[in-house]
Amino acid sequence: MEGSTDVDELETWLCECYDQSVRTAYLILGNRLDAEDAVQEAFLRAWRFRDSLARESSIRPWLYRVVVNTCNSKLRQEIPHRDRRGDDDDLVNVTSIDDLAARVEQSQDVVSALKELPLALRVVVVLRYFADLSEREIAIAIGRQPGTVKSRLNEARKRLAASPALRATPQEQSPTGEEATS
Amino acid sequence: MIDEAVLRRALVGAAGEFKVSSEARERILDVAREGAPEVRAARGPTFLRPQGRTRSILVAAALLLVVGAISWPLLRSERGTSPSASAPRTVHGANVSGTGSSGLTASEKAVVGGLPTPTVSPTGAQSAVTLTNTNALTVNASTSTKIESTGNVDLRIGKGQVEVAFAKLTRMVSSDRGFVVSSQERVGTNSAGKFSYGIMVLEVPQRSFDTLVTQVQKAGHPTSVVTSSSDVTSQYVDLRARINAAEASRQQYLTIMSKATSISDILAVQSQLNNLQSQIEQLQGQLNVLNNATTYGTLTVSLTETGQQHNVTKPKSGFAKAWHDGVSGFISGFEWVVRLAGPALFAILALGAAFVIGRYARRAIRRRRI
Repeated sequence: MEGSTDVDELETWLCECYDQSVRTAYLILGNRLDAEDAVQEAFLRAWRFRDSLARESSIRPWLYRVVVNTCNSKLRQEIPHRDRRGDDDDLVNVTSIDDLAARVEQSQDVVSALKELPLALRVVVVLRYFADLSEREIAIAIGRQPGTVKSRLNEARKRLAASPALRATPQEQSPTGEEATS
Repeated sequence: MIDEAVLRRALVGAAGEFKVSSEARERILDVAREGAPEVRAARGPTFLRPQGRTRSILVAAALLLVVGAISWPLLRSERGTSPSASAPRTVHGANVSGTGSSGLTASEKAVVGGLPTPTVSPTGAQSAVTLTNTNALTVNASTSTKIESTGNVDLRIGKGQVEVAFAKLTRMVSSDRGFVVSSQERVGTNSAGKFSYGIMVLEVPQRSFDTLVTQVQKAGHPTSVVTSSSDVTSQYVDLRARINAAEASRQQYLTIMSKATSISDILAVQSQLNNLQSQIEQLQGQLNVLNNATTYGTLTVSLTETGQQHNVTKPKSGFAKAWHDGVSGFISGFEWVVRLAGPALFAILALGAAFVIGRYARRAIRRRRI
């Protein structure tokens, strides 16, 4: 059946990219529940318009493009018009309790430092250094030229260098979730 | 610049602080299975909408179209109503002698129309006459020089002689195959008693204009004689040429029309023919006006009783003339500015609106794009 095949395709996307997308959206939006909402909306939208998605290359940058657009839309239209969701929600399901307080603080500081960046810079930084997209893939994801991506990355790194939270990031800190590095 | 590895570690660490809910993933699948095809509607997805540059070009083109559609007829009408380039070619005569003064509170009787006999009730103590003369010279009806001439003559006449002067002027203009366009007599009072003041507008064939000016001066004591003429041949020739060209085009279209076979062709040709027809009629109207103006000249005669001074326009000289010219120039300049203010204001408003819309559109596009 074609319908089930299509849902299978969505399932494949979810298996491959969902976790990474949620974490990416979290870094862009700064809130876990907003990130889950945005990614759900983005995946459903991409799946509904799957015929329009360019298929000549990997689906990943295109999916990120939908995710980024949805995050942008949320930041413009939805989030400014409602009370901010409690920060408590962000870390309800922490993966471990070792050094919990210190890590939570560290994580919040990094997210705050990201929030200080303009959205255009924040997005390219997250896509490059967290989602591990190449500059060309980021260009596809944000609909700009690779040169623009490169200059934005440089600018973002310059600005982040001034952030105490990132300067203090311990070298030995390792990612906690396997999904985060996948 | 921050080290890439440090940045990578920080981001991975910050993003990995929570577990991703598998329920949310299942929820997405459930929604997809339930199937909600409603979004596949006319509006495309945001990531496939036209890019900013395309949209800007489309918006700019639409704005240009709207501004052009509005301003083109305005410009055309402005061009159509602009004054003709003809300027007075000759001015001669300037004798003024004005004595006394009187306020003209007056009853006024006016006869306006073709060939009226002046109706005058001379009850004033003094009378004054002013002549204004517009003369049109058509040297050769179809091809030669077309000249439009005008003139003003001011006459002083004896007390109670306004009616007599009117009758004399009427006879003169009739003998020259002209006619009286209008005549007015005003009766006023001043410290010296009542007085009369009259104005007569005469039209004569252009060939008799000079004769009439000479004759009119004999009807009283001339205080001012001013005549002017302007060559409108170029306008005339231009109008004729445009009419001929339009006629030729019309003939060609008629030929095409006779060979047209499809309805669409006929309608297209018909539309062109209608345009041409209205153009020809418009030009013909202008030509007729020009013909009339060059066939007859108009002479305005002002009559003032001796010893009375009404608001006769004294020909200025020296500083007075310079002052008068300066004031006139200032007023003309101001009028010119006011005349231009309309289109300029429209253009400024249109540009302002385009700027605001463009800025708004640009901001909206920028907000939409990362």
